[in-house]
Amino acid sequence: MNFVLIFLITIFSLSLFFYGRSKTKSISIEKNIKLNALPKFYGYYLVLWCSIPSLVFLLIWTLFEPVIIKSIIIETAANQGAIFNDKNEANLIYEKIKAIYAGTYFGDIDIILKESALSYAKFINLFTNSKIVLIFGIVIASVIYSLKKIKNNNKARDDVEVILKGLLFASSLIAILTTLGIIFSLLFESIKFFSVINIFDYLFGTNWSPQRAFVSDASAITAAEYDELKDAFGFIPLIAGTSFIAFIAMLVAVPIGLFSGIYMAEYASVKIRRISKPIIEILAGIPTVVYGFFAALTVGPFFRQIGENLGLTVSSESALAAGLIMGIMIIPYVSSLSDDVINSVPQSLRDGSYAVGATKSETIKKVVIPAALPGIIGSVLLAVSRAIGETMIVVMAAGLAANLTINPLESTTTITTQIVMILVGDQEFDSPKTQSAFALGLTLFIATLVLNYIAQRAVKKYREKYD
Amino acid sequence: MNNVKIKSKNLNVYYGEKQALFDVNLDLNEKEVTALIGPSGCGKSTFIRCINRMNDVIDICKVSGNIEIDGVEINDKNLDVVSLRERVGMVFQKPNPFPKSIYDNISYGPKIHGKGETKSELDEIVENSLKKAALWEEVKDRLDEPGTGLSGGQQQRLCIARAISVNPEVILMDEPCSALDPIATAKIEELIDELKKTYTIVIVTHSMAQAVRVSQKTGFFHLGKLIEVGKTEKIFKNPDNKMTQDYITGRFG
Repeated sequence: MNFVLIFLITIFSLSLFFYGRSKTKSISIEKNIKLNALPKFYGYYLVLWCSIPSLVFLLIWTLFEPVIIKSIIIETAANQGAIFNDKNEANLIYEKIKAIYAGTYFGDIDIILKESALSYAKFINLFTNSKIVLIFGIVIASVIYSLKKIKNNNKARDDVEVILKGLLFASSLIAILTTLGIIFSLLFESIKFFSVINIFDYLFGTNWSPQRAFVSDASAITAAEYDELKDAFGFIPLIAGTSFIAFIAMLVAVPIGLFSGIYMAEYASVKIRRISKPIIEILAGIPTVVYGFFAALTVGPFFRQIGENLGLTVSSESALAAGLIMGIMIIPYVSSLSDDVINSVPQSLRDGSYAVGATKSETIKKVVIPAALPGIIGSVLLAVSRAIGETMIVVMAAGLAANLTINPLESTTTITTQIVMILVGDQEFDSPKTQSAFALGLTLFIATLVLNYIAQRAVKKYREKYD
Repeated sequence: MNNVKIKSKNLNVYYGEKQALFDVNLDLNEKEVTALIGPSGCGKSTFIRCINRMNDVIDICKVSGNIEIDGVEINDKNLDVVSLRERVGMVFQKPNPFPKSIYDNISYGPKIHGKGETKSELDEIVENSLKKAALWEEVKDRLDEPGTGLSGGQQQRLCIARAISVNPEVILMDEPCSALDPIATAKIEELIDELKKTYTIVIVTHSMAQAVRVSQKTGFFHLGKLIEVGKTEKIFKNPDNKMTQDYITGRFG
């Protein structure tokens, strides 16, 4: 139904474009007046007026219709004598009613359900009909309004500008609201978690084993239970594992990325640059899951083999393997960003250095790199935030047990891995175990946010200096 | 008349397919200021960039012919460009101090060449260079502040001090005043007058008045060719060539 409506509105408003254009043309000829805008703007004006209000109305209606029908139906069912103790039972009955209406319900249908299903059908019909009527009303009203406007030779070009500005604003508003929505949902779930687990027990606890956290009744946790619980949600091993793997990744990515960035910017001929830069950037385009099984199936066992030959115990899921592969994944970020910042160091600085007799490498080391340093630091920080947020590689290659260790040959785990482990499979949404995933998500989000902020400040400071 | 310091013979320069200089033969005298004038794109800058081989930086640039400094050929593949540039300093059109402190801007060159091993020797080089560039009095209390924070004229004198710091024999100046206001320009010109006692100076300029004020010898370039060269006085009062006459009287250029 909605698709038909959207289709009709679109077709109608597009045809209005041609109408508006030719109409204003003929008006200008008939009355011999100069139009305030080109005829096509009157066409746009009609299109926008015809489509936007009706489509926005349709969107809002579609969002609220099920909610309203549901509350009405549940209320009528209750009036007819249906008994439900809480929200879940009410939802169940509502789903049954919907299934009966759709013809996919095969259980016993008692009189209450039957009556409710009938009234459900009635309301659906009523709502659909009134939706169609209202939309036609809106289309007609806005078309009449806009036709009147264009007949009065309005400044259609300016008006179109205003409407488009509004549209663009609405789009960015949606992006902002979505972000806020995500932040708040993280925040609310985390608050629930922290109402059970003391935030200090979480932040400074050294043991992470959420699978131990069985709670019979989350609303009434005894002191003895809490002692058990607070020991299950210690954040330290996770942040340690995350930072450790990110650190190994940076050990790989920063030197290689930076040096290849320097080579690309300072030494490579145009021809080499044109070929090799896209190749390096392909590294960034490989799906992380591919890196993941490369780390888990090739690099991890390879390290274990080497370790065995050397007489070392190497876990087949090790921080080293995950960090190494993650580092390779991040190389293009570092190299491409530092290539850009090095390229934007003005040639005049290099000339100044050559002119006092410095060689190329002296110039790079003492003039170019220091001048580009804020930008390079920015690119490294962006890479760090990429590393700590990376999920797939560590899920596959770093291990699941939260060991607090600094031995790169042992398995460790990360924040992202634990979020995945907690949320895969069936979950009870009111257990602290599930909620802890949101707390982890929030912590991770804050960490990357801070890093990104610092990185962007650093890059900006650098830009100000040379632009 | 002073001795000839720099001598170019049949110098040709190409940027890719385009020839920028045609058979330039020009002698530059020691401890004298030579001004190179001519309309934009005539090859003046290209010429002085041959003297310290700065054209090497540009991939597509090819230089043929000879340039001698003190009778030694410098347009030679095997020549040590680094030590050449130690002897031939350069000041650019736009002041280009490094984004470092004033002190580090000056000490950069000496450190690279291993001059000024101790801190006090280095301090002395910095002080002397800044004094020679007539900047010492203005910056002596803030040597650790960034060189980029100085005014345009001060930045340019800082760049001159940087060029002086490695104790060169020749200083090349590529329109050093074109980005400066008249007062800063006057200071630089005064400075050039002082510097010519110690250094051989080649200055590219668009200002005829500046050439008259600062130089003893003037060369006029047009379309990559050296049209006329001679004593500044003669070039501006009584040039041999009609084209020179037209240029200095402002009929083209």
